[in-house]
Amino acid sequence: MTPRISPTPFLRRDILGGLGSIAMASMLRGEEAWMPPDGLPMIPQRAKRVIWLFMRGGVSHMESFDPKPMLTKYAGKSIGETPYKDAQNPEKLKKVRVVVVNDANGQQRNVIYPLQTGFKRYGQCGVEISDWFPNIGSCADEIAFIRSMWTTDDNHGAQVQFHSGRHMLEPRVPTLGAWVTYGLGSMTDNLPSFINMGPRFFDVRDGHYLGPAYDAVNLKVDPKNPLTYAAPEFQIGRQQQEAQFDLIHRLNGLNAEQYPGDKTRAARMKSYQLAYNMQTAVPETMNLDAESAETKKLYGMDDKVAEPFARQLIVARRLAERGVRFIQLQHGDGAAGAWDSHSGLKKNHSSLAQQVDKPISGLLKDLKQRGMLDDTLVVFATEFGRTPGSQGSDGRDHHPYGFSVWMAGGGIKGGTIHGGTDELGFHPVEHPHYVTDVHATILHLLGLDPHRLEIPGRKRLERDFGKVIPQILA
Amino acid sequence: MALLPTAVLAVDYEKEIKPLLKERCYACHGALKQKAGLRLDTATAMHKGGDNGNILSGDPALLLERVTTADKEDRMPPEGEGSMFTTEQVAKLQAWIAAGAPAPAQEKPEDDPRAHWAYQSPTASGHSMDSLLATRLAAKGLKPQPEAAPELWLRRVYLDLIGLPPAPVQIHAFLKDTSAPARLRLVDQLLATPQYGERWARHFMDIWRYCDWYGLGAQLRHSQKHLWHWRDWIVESLNADKGYDQMIVQMLAADELAPENRDNLRATGFLARSYYLFNRTTWLDETIEHTCRAFLGLTMQCVKCHDHKYDPIEQTDYYRMRAIFEPLHVRLDPWEGESDFEKNGLPRVFDLHLDQLTYRHVRGDEKNEDKSRPMTPGVPRVLEFASFEPKAVKLPPTSSHPVLLPFVLKDHLAAADQQLAQAQKSGDAGAVKLAGLRLAMIQAVYAADLAKGDKAIAQAAALAEARYGEAKAEEELVKAEAAPTAKDAEKKIKTAREALEKARTKVSAPGDTYTSLTASLKAQEGPGENGNAKVQAYPEISTGRRLALAQWIADKRNPLTARVLVNHVWARHFGVPLVADVGDFGRRSLAPLHQDVLDSLTTGFMENGWSMKWLHRTLVLSDLYRRNSSNAGADPQTLATDPDNHFLWRMNPRRMESQLVRDSLLHLSGKLDLTLGGPSLDPAKAETSPRRSLYFIQNADVEHRFLAVFDNSNVLECYRRNESVVPQQALALTNSGLSRECANALAASMTKLDAPTFIDQAFLAILGRLPLAAERKASLEGFHALNEDRSLFLQALINHNDFVTLR
Repeated sequence: MTPRISPTPFLRRDILGGLGSIAMASMLRGEEAWMPPDGLPMIPQRAKRVIWLFMRGGVSHMESFDPKPMLTKYAGKSIGETPYKDAQNPEKLKKVRVVVVNDANGQQRNVIYPLQTGFKRYGQCGVEISDWFPNIGSCADEIAFIRSMWTTDDNHGAQVQFHSGRHMLEPRVPTLGAWVTYGLGSMTDNLPSFINMGPRFFDVRDGHYLGPAYDAVNLKVDPKNPLTYAAPEFQIGRQQQEAQFDLIHRLNGLNAEQYPGDKTRAARMKSYQLAYNMQTAVPETMNLDAESAETKKLYGMDDKVAEPFARQLIVARRLAERGVRFIQLQHGDGAAGAWDSHSGLKKNHSSLAQQVDKPISGLLKDLKQRGMLDDTLVVFATEFGRTPGSQGSDGRDHHPYGFSVWMAGGGIKGGTIHGGTDELGFHPVEHPHYVTDVHATILHLLGLDPHRLEIPGRKRLERDFGKVIPQILA
Repeated sequence: MALLPTAVLAVDYEKEIKPLLKERCYACHGALKQKAGLRLDTATAMHKGGDNGNILSGDPALLLERVTTADKEDRMPPEGEGSMFTTEQVAKLQAWIAAGAPAPAQEKPEDDPRAHWAYQSPTASGHSMDSLLATRLAAKGLKPQPEAAPELWLRRVYLDLIGLPPAPVQIHAFLKDTSAPARLRLVDQLLATPQYGERWARHFMDIWRYCDWYGLGAQLRHSQKHLWHWRDWIVESLNADKGYDQMIVQMLAADELAPENRDNLRATGFLARSYYLFNRTTWLDETIEHTCRAFLGLTMQCVKCHDHKYDPIEQTDYYRMRAIFEPLHVRLDPWEGESDFEKNGLPRVFDLHLDQLTYRHVRGDEKNEDKSRPMTPGVPRVLEFASFEPKAVKLPPTSSHPVLLPFVLKDHLAAADQQLAQAQKSGDAGAVKLAGLRLAMIQAVYAADLAKGDKAIAQAAALAEARYGEAKAEEELVKAEAAPTAKDAEKKIKTAREALEKARTKVSAPGDTYTSLTASLKAQEGPGENGNAKVQAYPEISTGRRLALAQWIADKRNPLTARVLVNHVWARHFGVPLVADVGDFGRRSLAPLHQDVLDSLTTGFMENGWSMKWLHRTLVLSDLYRRNSSNAGADPQTLATDPDNHFLWRMNPRRMESQLVRDSLLHLSGKLDLTLGGPSLDPAKAETSPRRSLYFIQNADVEHRFLAVFDNSNVLECYRRNESVVPQQALALTNSGLSRECANALAASMTKLDAPTFIDQAFLAILGRLPLAAERKASLEGFHALNEDRSLFLQALINHNDFVTLR
């Protein structure tokens, strides 16, 4: 099947997200007539879609994309004994907001824990990356690394914060994927425009005040059961179902005579066409039979450890090809997330890295060879980093003060190393970025102005909008 | 920012300057407040200026200087209070000033905020809603649509009042007599069914944020266990047509109003629902915000940090309200017939820390309390029609000591009896002894609780407890010795021996301290509190603050309460509310077009004992409710003048809420189980459960896959449902087992009909009407194309837009 990418965001016009009542309320208030965005870029667009790779649990920044040899040098010493003792100056620890009071986790860890793996330089940019991510390292010159992230939740509610910009103790607001879908609409006739794969825990919804129509649709990488109700839950022949859809279409069409000008009726007819297409398109997208052996190998499908995530990423690419706008992947099972290495960090991180390293590099390379990396943004993120000090004998605790994420693809200046933490990886020392700066940058590249993504009656704070990170833009 | 050279720019003050100043400046320099003695709401006021004189004079004018200066201390709007003027906006402002700041001659300043329409008591017009609407239509030259077919009206009232569509037999019966008295009879019949309470409880569960407990694994973080008791109270109260004013008072303060009325204590689930383990401020913020929004249409969330930008409500008003809730806490009381709180219990509120002071949080920062002045409990001053004077309430002993509830002893004994019966059945002598001693212990301990302070009885209780402990230790030892080869057997036997030794020592010197019967479960005050389960005694008085608040809300003199309710109910009958934002009756909501209708209904509602059934009857028996919802055949002039139906010349079509879709399908198939009430059901069983949808567990963690597709209610807040149209809805109705089984069951009841009769019956059953000629023809052809498979045809009709629509 040739992917069909419709040039106009027709979903914006034809499918009702349920925001009509807000538009009406604003009009009746005598405000300047408010309308939802029309789906067209507000500023020049550099990327059309996002593949969002979220590592749940908290990836150690020091053992991934921000290695800190000083940890090995001062191993076993307390932070207070090093020249960097000011890192724990209470003034500098103030911005964190505790949710889980008296929790065993999320504490200051004083005794420095050495790096659990080596690192080396990659690419022309010479970025240091740990030995657990050699394949991503081989793509270094495509990537802009941001080594100066911070957040305020010291527990896994930070997952919600990374997606929405708001701390768990504040009201739930739409996540980035919801804003993107709301702002740009869909590019496909056949698939939902905002998809989530993988486990979520702290908040299973995205749309919030934008409405459930902007929640991600959960897909499973299983051609037989990829999406709730995508296939009939009973025996029915293809022909019979076609006849059923024909009849529905005809009767709803005839209904126009009784209810002329009813927009909901027209939207519903359109939604049936989409639904019919989705029934074929979703399982077809999940089916990797047509993928070449080379492609599969590129993603690491031949490695048993990497295979599940590799499969998801091939599907992600196929979804991207078919016009899905925001593809959100959550890696790492369990309520807190698998990367949460309070103990046994070496074993945990090395094996999780093996699950994702090859598939992610495969995705970048595959997108590039297909010419899709030019207008696809790939984001690698996690909710926080891990402490320079050890927890127990062989783990690291949650570290919201400093951590790393990276982006590649449409509009990103590859081979950029942006920002940085101090010698211990504790605090950002240049260009600190709150999580919404990542959102702002993504929205900017997608051609959206976050300040114009507002709806009446819902005040957004300046912090919610974030600031674009100009240094990583091509 | 540098000022641009004065360009010749034609600027329209009314269109370009005034809205900008309104948005950025009026909150502090308008009718609401006049900081620095300055108002910007008329050009005259700007010329007059404030403490620093005329703001339009000077070069550059003071106004321009203040919005452009690089000095953050001086720049307006101040940081955090609004965004800076853009270059373009500055240019326009500059051009306007340069042109001499032209403004209309008779420019009116902003109205006094206290004069806002919603803050004034509603007055009855003496006219019915229909005559008020008709007058306005006539004045505007608009022609109303004729009546809808009676069967469509019938489907509306069935779905609106009981949430289930009429069956063909009910349609036929109604069509025989569609007179006004027959319609009234029918509406009264529907309002008298228990399904009415379920249907409308679901609406109020949206507004009042019904939410079953959830957390992380077994840790309860939000809401309370067994919150369904509150849901059942809502259903029962609606069915009994309890006055809305009484409902409010019971939800906020049943424990203070009539502490011994256990049925009504269930109402306080409204407050228990906002319990949050980790943060007291978050808990109280939600309580304040949603109490105010749900009952009063007041938006309070912004007042937590600063004075309201639109409404005359100050930050101190927020913390005065917090002081009302400051002593509030939550516990489970026992539910008659069950002594295990995991299995059942009554979530209820009570005042715990009576003397806890409330301080204002500076800029809403809970870590920065203004300790200079504790806040006194109170309501927003602008709406204070009588002084707020809470009176402390003396509580009965059963409130402060739940163990004294009459059924506690009986239930504990029953549990022990059951243990004894089981032991006897098994013939295990040790177990029999143990159960017998448990019975004795329960009685002794209870006697000691009753005879507070009697030392001899307390000693007897301590002894009984020690004896029971000894028997238990003996049992443990027997168990350990019976398994000599088990892992760590030796160690286990040793431990058991030591424990028995200890227990025997206790029997020889039991003292006079004992463990009371567990008759309540206090919710943890934060995750660090471990002794909460041991607390069995509570304060003997309650502050009466919540009762005072509730009585102020439910007072006829409160201009908001009844209006907000009428607007909510109106929105659910007519699709579009009279006041567009159902949760905000503040100054951002201009006086509604149909304010006379709203006010007449509001006064009528209060005069009729705040009766919801009166309100439903009035609305669904109105001319408007009978009107056709279609544009077809509409007067072209009317359609052109008011295409969006603001003047209500036709009825509005609506989509079924998610629960209605599912319940209706089950009802059509004849499988709907109409059992009322009870514990919330696991959503995993939702696919096969025949119960009504309001009974499924609802919280932020679980998602009911069918309901989710049709815009299920958001438990965090849901003042109105969304009505989206997305392809997943089509998939759910074409592919779910639910829709197919419904079609199968209907088909089984229609096997004997010939094709044309079958099609008519199918339309009647699913859409509540007969097909038009063209529909009949298309249906016959479609039926043949489906090889006359009745079930497939019926399922197609379930997917007709008119099935999910209230036409």
